[in-house]
Amino acid sequence: MKEMTGSPGNKVLIAVDLSENSLKAVDYVGAMLSCHELAEITLITVIKEPSADIVPDEAERTRMVEEARSETLALMEQAASRLKALGIPEKHIRIKIQVCRKPMSISDLILHEQQDGGYGTLVVGRRGVSKKEEFLFGSVSSRVVRDAKHCAVWVIE
Amino acid sequence: MTETELREKVAAYTRFPPRGKLNIYADTTEFMSIQSDDILELGGVYYLVRGEEVEGRFGLDGEPKYWVKRVIDLGDGCSKIIKLVFHEKFLMQLGSLQIECFRSPLKEARILDKVRGDLRFMQGVNVLDSAGNQVRIIERIQGVRYYDQIHNLQMDHESYFHERFPAIFDNIVGCIEAINRLHEMGELHGDIRNDHILIERESGKYRWIDFDYTYDWAENPYGVDLYGLGNILLFTVGKGFHNLPDLTACGPEGIKMRSCLEPADMSLFFKHRIANLQKLFPYIPDSLNFILLHFSQGARVFYEHTDELLQDLRACRLDIASN
Repeated sequence: MKEMTGSPGNKVLIAVDLSENSLKAVDYVGAMLSCHELAEITLITVIKEPSADIVPDEAERTRMVEEARSETLALMEQAASRLKALGIPEKHIRIKIQVCRKPMSISDLILHEQQDGGYGTLVVGRRGVSKKEEFLFGSVSSRVVRDAKHCAVWVIE
Repeated sequence: MTETELREKVAAYTRFPPRGKLNIYADTTEFMSIQSDDILELGGVYYLVRGEEVEGRFGLDGEPKYWVKRVIDLGDGCSKIIKLVFHEKFLMQLGSLQIECFRSPLKEARILDKVRGDLRFMQGVNVLDSAGNQVRIIERIQGVRYYDQIHNLQMDHESYFHERFPAIFDNIVGCIEAINRLHEMGELHGDIRNDHILIERESGKYRWIDFDYTYDWAENPYGVDLYGLGNILLFTVGKGFHNLPDLTACGPEGIKMRSCLEPADMSLFFKHRIANLQKLFPYIPDSLNFILLHFSQGARVFYEHTDELLQDLRACRLDIASN
């Protein structure tokens, strides 16, 4: 896949979980940046590998990850098509699927990718979890907003 | 060991030795078939099964746990608990939320290895049976459940708070430090409850038991454990839980107190459980009440790590001692 070499100011990383809300974030970015000729957009999604405590068999875990990867790829390509339909050139769109294993979290991976890839803007959708859910499970968007450094963060709700 | 030798051991350690054929199980897969008076052979050691553990909640009788056998170790005559492999998936109720929970023998076995020698946790060893099942052999703790200890204290809250609470608080902070140690090792307890702390009769030590529950991991892996710790703190500070119907049942004074409570004062997970206990017991210091409010509907910020909770607990210790 062609590496994006633009300056950080032009590089945008959109974290999607393929929910309706994250696709709205894709649409928003597409609409905002379609007039920006140099914008380079990477869509990133994260697949969680099942815990070995729940799925002890490694081959089964691998199989589940690969199944999730195939399903996710199809959905990510649809998300990329939405960007193209909004006027973002295909050569400026990239898809990345990462696999998350304990002890890394999804927000760790996203922030790591943002740093590694030199993205100047990070976009996340806010799902609107309840207080109880946020207490118990945490929130990717909240963590990204809190911990992102040296970039702009757009939170799309 | 021959059957004769086994029978001699059994006779030495029990008052009512089994008659008839001795069933010896080296493969524990079909744990429902393993009954009282059967023998388990695990790692070269023989255990006489005496029955199953029963777990109730809040002082009530519960269902037998067929995968958890009460045994006598025929090597030394000690009572032990043997946890056999049972892969269970179920929905656990956390207040008004439900989450999918898994029973994991592997997880509990791993934690047993990691906490060996740390008496803040139950102790045990792990053995593979002849079919490769991960069996945990646990040393029995003779003691009382923390829930029962507090529930049975016959005194009013103000006396409790000034006379007994400081020492109990220190012990509970010790329990939370133990959980923090687990978290620092990348592990979870998974089922933090008032009746999963046992107070050992002889030593008075507070000890955690039963850490075989796990969850599909989330962005914050410690949230479920912190939820449990919050409930334990509310229970400890309040000398039990205090709910709105309890206040109403107290007559005019209770009803008046109830009218002073707002949704923000209530537990995040149990809408009738009072988290702002200072409104009921004004002598609770602000610094301690501040911690409880992190588990209320009015909380804007939650603890994400047990270490954060511990910092606040240590900071309020002086305020408790000075009351």
